[in-house]
Amino acid sequence: MTELKIDGLVKRYGDAEVLHGLDLDVEGNEFIVFVGPSGCGKSTFLRSIAGLEDISGGTIAIDGTPINGLEPDQRGVAMVFQNYALYPHMTVAENMGFALKMAGVSKPDIATKVNAAAEILKLEPYLGRRPADLSGGQRQRVAIGRAIVRAPKVFLFDEPLSNLDADLRAHMRLEIIKLHRQQGAISIYVTHDQVEAMTMADRIVVMRDGYIEQVGSPLELYNNPVNRFVAGFLGTPKMNFLPARVTGLRDATATFEILGTSIAVEIVDGEALSVAEGAEIEIGIRADGWDVVAEGEGMAGQVVHAEQLGRETVTFVMLEGDTQVTMIQTGQHQLKDGEAIWLKPAAARLHGFDGNGLSLPIARQHATDA
Amino acid sequence: MSATTSTTMFPKTRKLAWLMHLFLIGYSLLILLPLTWVVMGALKTNREMFTDPIALPKDPNWGTFITAWDDGVRDYFFNSVIVSGFSVALIVVISAMAAYALTRLNFPFRRGLYLIIILCFAIPMHAVLVPIYVLLSDFGLLNTHAGLILPYAAFGLPFSIILMYSFFYEFPTELEEAAKLDGCGPWRRLWHVVLPLSKPILVSVAIFNLVSIWNEFLLATIVMTSPEVQTLPLGLVRFRDQYATNWPGMLAAITIGSLPLLAAFVAFQKYFIRSMAGMGK
Repeated sequence: MTELKIDGLVKRYGDAEVLHGLDLDVEGNEFIVFVGPSGCGKSTFLRSIAGLEDISGGTIAIDGTPINGLEPDQRGVAMVFQNYALYPHMTVAENMGFALKMAGVSKPDIATKVNAAAEILKLEPYLGRRPADLSGGQRQRVAIGRAIVRAPKVFLFDEPLSNLDADLRAHMRLEIIKLHRQQGAISIYVTHDQVEAMTMADRIVVMRDGYIEQVGSPLELYNNPVNRFVAGFLGTPKMNFLPARVTGLRDATATFEILGTSIAVEIVDGEALSVAEGAEIEIGIRADGWDVVAEGEGMAGQVVHAEQLGRETVTFVMLEGDTQVTMIQTGQHQLKDGEAIWLKPAAARLHGFDGNGLSLPIARQHATDA
Repeated sequence: MSATTSTTMFPKTRKLAWLMHLFLIGYSLLILLPLTWVVMGALKTNREMFTDPIALPKDPNWGTFITAWDDGVRDYFFNSVIVSGFSVALIVVISAMAAYALTRLNFPFRRGLYLIIILCFAIPMHAVLVPIYVLLSDFGLLNTHAGLILPYAAFGLPFSIILMYSFFYEFPTELEEAAKLDGCGPWRRLWHVVLPLSKPILVSVAIFNLVSIWNEFLLATIVMTSPEVQTLPLGLVRFRDQYATNWPGMLAAITIGSLPLLAAFVAFQKYFIRSMAGMGK
């Protein structure tokens, strides 16, 4: 069982610090996804583990041995690049066997390993071809094959699917997950696509500006984001944010006023709100966290547009004060553009954030425990 | 609407294409006619040459080539091959390594060094002919192959390094990073990944330098004074004096002298055009 331990990793370019003391422990055969907006440091973090960037502080250890001083090929990691990075002058078989050739492995052994990997990836018919004669999906499979052949302890993926079209991307997501289960190694996968993160990860690492914001399983992060950033980053459509005010605080109940509508929420047992009565806060409502109510009961709004997707209806509603929100309803709802509608946030689905954007401990019910 | 656009556009484009073809045909004739005249002249007898210089040879006399070859062209030819071959090899090897180091390694004064190399490109050989002569003389290199090879290599390097620099600068770094993960140090990366993918630029650097070195006259005149080490351009002059009355012989020598460059260009045309079209890519 492999263990990857990262302690206080710091990366500086000159005076500019881009990674600020990151800690992360990964065990067994977890699939970890680094996600965040561009420039958040996720690729630099991955490249530091690969050895393509020298780190300025901290340690990276695999199975208790620090690897941050070792050459990339000595670390027991293999990487799949965004643009495949296949050698154009070598055949598929030569590409896949190149690392073994450099390591001095005998030709028959290389052939055995390359053939085994080609069989897993269904690349046997293409072994004699050059990368230029392959489709994007096939090239990506060769790039993955090149990593598999080295039998690494840690697989590193740097946005490997971003050059593929949507259909192929969905297909390759599943392929990569299946391969990961087969290989039984740690996989670290970098993406800016939160759908990839949600669908593939055992644990997601959300990053921003060189800091880790939160680490957890996709649903942990979706249901209990630690701050406004994580809440807004994960989930499609994005969470709706509305300004609100704390109007009452009594025992385990708090009352918020949101655009003139009063809502009572329960506070998590043993926790206390970090804000006082009268404080300005922000409320987060997922697109599926709205109830459509009778005229005059909730917030008045107007339908901007309703997208009929058959299985669900996505409606954009303009509330008072020029605030546009998104609502998802299961099933088919006939809503006309410009039609008046009254909405109320479901109290048990509400998120709240204090002035610093940190989550307020509001008790919530999720789809599974409803 | 697209139909009207194409009818109005078409004659304009066609006119331009006509003009360009006309220019290219004229230019080709300018080069090819004298060349044909040289080859045809070599196949004539001396008398034919004077009585009917424009006509085709009545009875092609291939023996002229053998006579010219045996009469000294052979020695000049091999001197040229040695001097050009070694100079070009030195230039290709050194400029590739220098450009790679300049684009990939981090060392002090790297930019300054590159600027100095660009500056060297601006210095014409004529300006430093005398110091070069003195240097070669002090080192005892006059009338030796090395006496031409070293200055040729030195003067070929700046432009070659600049060409290679721009090529390596845009070389995909991901490929080299993949090679790092595959266990390649800088030398292996250069040898297994970068150089095999740099064939077009290597070939065009080689041909560029080959053309100018093969034809170089000025430095060769002052460095190579004894006939046994002289290169083809000097040999042809000597031939002119020696064969003042034997035109076919001289034309045969010129033909033999032009063949290697033609052959090199035909053999590597693909790379040459590709790298020229991409301005050194």
